[in-house]
Amino acid sequence: MTADALDPVIHAPVRLRILATLAALPDGSSLSFTRLQDMLELTPGNLITHLRKLEDAGYVTSQKTGNGVASRTAVALTHRGRAALDTYAEALRDLLDGLPAVQ
Amino acid sequence: MNGTRDTSKMAPADPGGLDRREAARLLAETEREARRQFNLSPQWINVVMGAVILVAYGSLWLSTRGQHPYTGPSLGVVALVYAAVAVAFAVAVKVYRRATAGVSGPALLQQQAEGVAILVSFVLGSPVLQGAARHYGASDGIVYGVIPAAAPLIIVGTTALGIAASKADWLQFGAALAVVIAGVVAAFVGPSGAWLAAGIGLFIAVVGYGAVDARRPRRVTLGA
Repeated sequence: MTADALDPVIHAPVRLRILATLAALPDGSSLSFTRLQDMLELTPGNLITHLRKLEDAGYVTSQKTGNGVASRTAVALTHRGRAALDTYAEALRDLLDGLPAVQ
Repeated sequence: MNGTRDTSKMAPADPGGLDRREAARLLAETEREARRQFNLSPQWINVVMGAVILVAYGSLWLSTRGQHPYTGPSLGVVALVYAAVAVAFAVAVKVYRRATAGVSGPALLQQQAEGVAILVSFVLGSPVLQGAARHYGASDGIVYGVIPAAAPLIIVGTTALGIAASKADWLQFGAALAVVIAGVVAAFVGPSGAWLAAGIGLFIAVVGYGAVDARRPRRVTLGA
């Protein structure tokens, strides 16, 4: 197995952290954009950019409710996203098994 | 996949420039931190609850030990117990609100419904039985000793037992069962001894649950 086996959509620090954070919630749960932003310490623009890529891949969904200052965006991991993260972790584990230990 | 993977064919740098070890570390750390932030019962809160239980039930037992006839705990001790319960409740609410801020979904609604069920059984169970016992002329030992010490544990413990069974959470089931057993024991050791038995049983259940829960395997993607 080569590094190409790693899903390039997930294999980026910010997107990896987004998925890992959402995966810590129970199935079907969603997290507000602001809480996710706080937890990952990202700027809104940076988070939006990466969420868009994850949404395009079908790994997360986002839903906006309300209008104006009362609006709230909730982000959730999809079943496909959870499966992709599991596959990614499995591939990563296999790759690490083949690497010499770090001194 | 076998144990003789040729690592020389692996790309030295991963796509996106993220090193594999760094990715593994990032994934494990992020999962751990997220679980810590979403955790509704961190270790320290079990310690706080254990301390509150010891202070509250210990004070009630010391206040009533050796009473003949049994008249119940002093008002000062009752005030101390209410204060301790209020502090514990406030701490639990603060932890809950911090952990669930921004979280929504069916799992959260289910947790809230479970919380309401526990609260209702705690608030209503014992006072109703005490009132009925007083109405039918039961002694102070029963009304202000046995029932308030044993009934909440049996009622709340049974409620928690049902919740745990419905979720197949066997650790929570075991802790709830221990609470029910403590309540049953407390019902038969006299009005003063009831506080001691209830306190010890509840302390073991809460702190034991916390200790075992901390060692419970979690769904961690990399197991790191």
